[in-house]
Amino acid sequence: METDVVVVGGGVTGAAVLRDLALRGVNAVLVERFDLGTGTSGRWHGLLHSGARYAVRDQESARECIEENTTLRRIAPHTIEDIGGLFVLLPGDDEAYAGQFVEGCRASGIATEELSAAAAHRREPLLAPDVRLAFAVPDGGIDSWALLRSMRADAEARGCQVLVRHPMVGVERTGDRITAVRVHDAVAGQDRTIGCQWVVNAAGAWAGEVGRMAGVPLTMIAGKGVMVVMASRYVRGVVNACRKPADGDIIVPQHEVAILGTTSEQVPSADDISVPPADVDRMIDMCAQMVPAIASGRVLRAFAGSRPLYQPEAPAGDGQAESGDTREVSRTFTVLDHASRDGLDNMYSIVGGKLTTCRQMAEAVVDRLAERMGVTEPCRTATEVLPGAGHGPHRVAAPLAKVERDQAYGELICECELVTRGQVRDAVADGLTELEDLRRAVRLGYGPCQAAFCAWRAAGLLAEAQPPEGSGEPPSGAPDPLAGLERFLEERWRGQQATIWGDQARQALLNHAIYRGIFDLQGAGAPDEAAAANQTPTEPGSGDPTRRVGDELIGDSEGRTSSRPGGG
Amino acid sequence: MRADVIVVGAGPAGLASATRLAEAGRQVLLLARGNGFTHWGAGAVDVLGRVGGEPVERPLAAIDRLPDGHPYRLTGEAAVREGLDWFSRFAGAAGLAHAGDPDRNRRQVTAFGTLRQTCLLPEPAAGEGLGGRVAVVSFAGFRDFSPALCALGLRRAGIDATPASAPVPAWDHDRYFTAVELARAIDDADFRRRLAPGLARAVAGADVAVVPAVLGLRRGHEPWADLQSLVGTPLVEAATAPPSIPGVRLFAAYRARLDTLGVRWQFGFPAIGVERDGDRVTAVRSEGASRVVVTRCQELVLATGGVAGNGIEANRDGTLTEKVAGLPVGLASSEPGRSEGRMAFVGARFLGDHPLGAAGVQVDAELRPVDASGEPVLANVRFVGGLLAGHDPTVEGSREGVALATAARVASLLAATPVR
Repeated sequence: METDVVVVGGGVTGAAVLRDLALRGVNAVLVERFDLGTGTSGRWHGLLHSGARYAVRDQESARECIEENTTLRRIAPHTIEDIGGLFVLLPGDDEAYAGQFVEGCRASGIATEELSAAAAHRREPLLAPDVRLAFAVPDGGIDSWALLRSMRADAEARGCQVLVRHPMVGVERTGDRITAVRVHDAVAGQDRTIGCQWVVNAAGAWAGEVGRMAGVPLTMIAGKGVMVVMASRYVRGVVNACRKPADGDIIVPQHEVAILGTTSEQVPSADDISVPPADVDRMIDMCAQMVPAIASGRVLRAFAGSRPLYQPEAPAGDGQAESGDTREVSRTFTVLDHASRDGLDNMYSIVGGKLTTCRQMAEAVVDRLAERMGVTEPCRTATEVLPGAGHGPHRVAAPLAKVERDQAYGELICECELVTRGQVRDAVADGLTELEDLRRAVRLGYGPCQAAFCAWRAAGLLAEAQPPEGSGEPPSGAPDPLAGLERFLEERWRGQQATIWGDQARQALLNHAIYRGIFDLQGAGAPDEAAAANQTPTEPGSGDPTRRVGDELIGDSEGRTSSRPGGG
Repeated sequence: MRADVIVVGAGPAGLASATRLAEAGRQVLLLARGNGFTHWGAGAVDVLGRVGGEPVERPLAAIDRLPDGHPYRLTGEAAVREGLDWFSRFAGAAGLAHAGDPDRNRRQVTAFGTLRQTCLLPEPAAGEGLGGRVAVVSFAGFRDFSPALCALGLRRAGIDATPASAPVPAWDHDRYFTAVELARAIDDADFRRRLAPGLARAVAGADVAVVPAVLGLRRGHEPWADLQSLVGTPLVEAATAPPSIPGVRLFAAYRARLDTLGVRWQFGFPAIGVERDGDRVTAVRSEGASRVVVTRCQELVLATGGVAGNGIEANRDGTLTEKVAGLPVGLASSEPGRSEGRMAFVGARFLGDHPLGAAGVQVDAELRPVDASGEPVLANVRFVGGLLAGHDPTVEGSREGVALATAARVASLLAATPVR
């Protein structure tokens, strides 16, 4: 296989780079070790930043955010819930900070509107009664998987290619140039070589590993953030605490749930996405200060993501890396030209940044690359709308309205997320090979029942897509619905272990009674005793023997340890 | 209000206990929050499917291998056998005859094409030893059974299975429907006559047909038998996800029997606490329509289930609480009332074992709750079914057997107690 540019990493940054290249007429291939959006792009709270969170301390990031917030609303409205946000001042919060906040927003170009306590409560009835004051800002919600799908579709329509489940395993170098990127086709089980002229490292928190394979030093800081998923939205818009960013200071309503965020902790590896139960408790207790109903609410699951923070090369022991709290590291982004930096002639890395600025990050790196390539087409990603944009902003009640209005719209496979049989069939027809991917494609299994009913219905649809006759073994390359179902269930479980109490404990045991009790799934033959013996409280699932099952296919799992470095 | 015996819980253990106590001459009040594992189970009578993860072929003979403190070790084999015998008579009289033998486990085909270990099976599910050519059939518009998935599983078990779909005749309903709606339609003889030809075409050439367990809701096994004769091919009901239609049938049979026996029944009014005088419970507090109702009683039988059944609350701080009498509960690995943190609740694999599934109340041989030294702490309260410590009903496949054995034990204990 030959291409002009290999983009490494299937998060929003890599996909934005691929689309930018495609719009300039450049031939490119994106490689991703799992599915699109299984790294940081799929493990975050879903906030379309207004920039207000950075307005006091990091105004460069704040300005980037408000600019891209406006751009994304124009090019990808269908991925956005236009719900706005509040920064609320609680008793004990510093009024001086509120003054700095308003001034910082003004200086960064972010519109704010001060609301009295009464006005704030009219807008958000579940806010704590003792909220003193609030500021409205143009925050929003954004669905990163929808954004990824649109960017991918646009890039593919323009001749570029996406290879998922193709982790990068190395490069071929001739002197100062990379001549090819070697990848492993995890489905076919064989290595492939992609000859190329240029490489863009967009592996985010994993960019250091790509750098190492290419032979250039690149130090990323893995800044882990823990988030908690509540079973309902609680708030109409985003709610932030008006104070210096700290643990548990944001509530983002997203589709049918609310996400509480977040912690900020430096960890040795971006693959450390374990969820300590104490962090879950802290998120709930802190966010309940803003919205008290959260304290007694139903918690669905908890997860962690790894911020892709860039550490400019500095003397050992210098900088904030020692502090443990990674909030002090700037959230702006950096383009690294490895030719001038490291003497590697044809590779760029794009590091740092955040989802809201992914398009701008792509523009910055592709501008530099295009100049070197002699491509004169200007960047058009800020003006060309994405496929699907015609649907307008996403409204959370829209799918329900469709289902209620028109029974032909579809038979529900997942009542929690209103996923229809047709949506699943379409995904299967599009070449879906892994039940787990339906989660990102159509949100299967996200709701309160945590896949008690939808997963086996979807497995049935996968089975129906297979030839009916035969030994029972799926044809080569076809999904195995029963094995895929077990992988799906185990993935869902890894995010639940720190949140099993109350109603969700009942739900978990009911699900266990369904899958193991009624359907008699006994697991992949791995002894339970070994799993129990290996279990450690703060790292759910680590050492789990089933972790090996499908490791190369799913990847989206709490507490995983990478067995194969590469791409994001 | 006043009652002689209050039974709390309308799952397999509470229903059997209330029925048997009423048959033994006690005046019974049944209080229940809602449905239990009749509706959420597989629709069979599991007695003991696995010990230590290994499949069991002879359930009663395997009781000796269970650890001390297991409910079967407390009741003894005789109570298990007597409980199953009673159930077979009861179910048969209600038009829900079960096949099987307490001394030998059988296999129940599931919607996944797995063959789960169980003991007694309702006749429509009892097609043991599926052989020859098997058609796996669902009904067009019924989303909760995939013939392709079931056939795939059966083929992996070495069975010659082929998926098929049968049309559903026009009926007064939406394009898509639930198991309950379809089962209710099949209660109607005229609907069955219109359904049968399409089903017969779908199973043509097969020696036996596996169908989802939806063949009738309120008329016992008669709709199944009638449809089978109309189609001319043996029909075997496969276990489906909740709600279990065989379980709904059984629940209805219990309800009819309890009505006949004059048992008072308060459904949707959960018990929330007790009043005590020393080591005796004197009354149960329950949620009424607009207030808390206090009902005095001589004896109390708690059949509220484990964590899954809502009899035990798993708390965020890692502790566990029995919800009616307020007794401390421990995991098998910890003392009652002590917490090792909530991560000790669950195992690393979803399909593995979870300590929470075996959480329960420690009792003595008379099913009274005991303290750490083994002394009863409440003299007139008996615990039955999934609420009992020492067993995980899902993992070991013992839910209905434990319910029936402990109901048998309670019936014999309390029938002997004179009414005061």
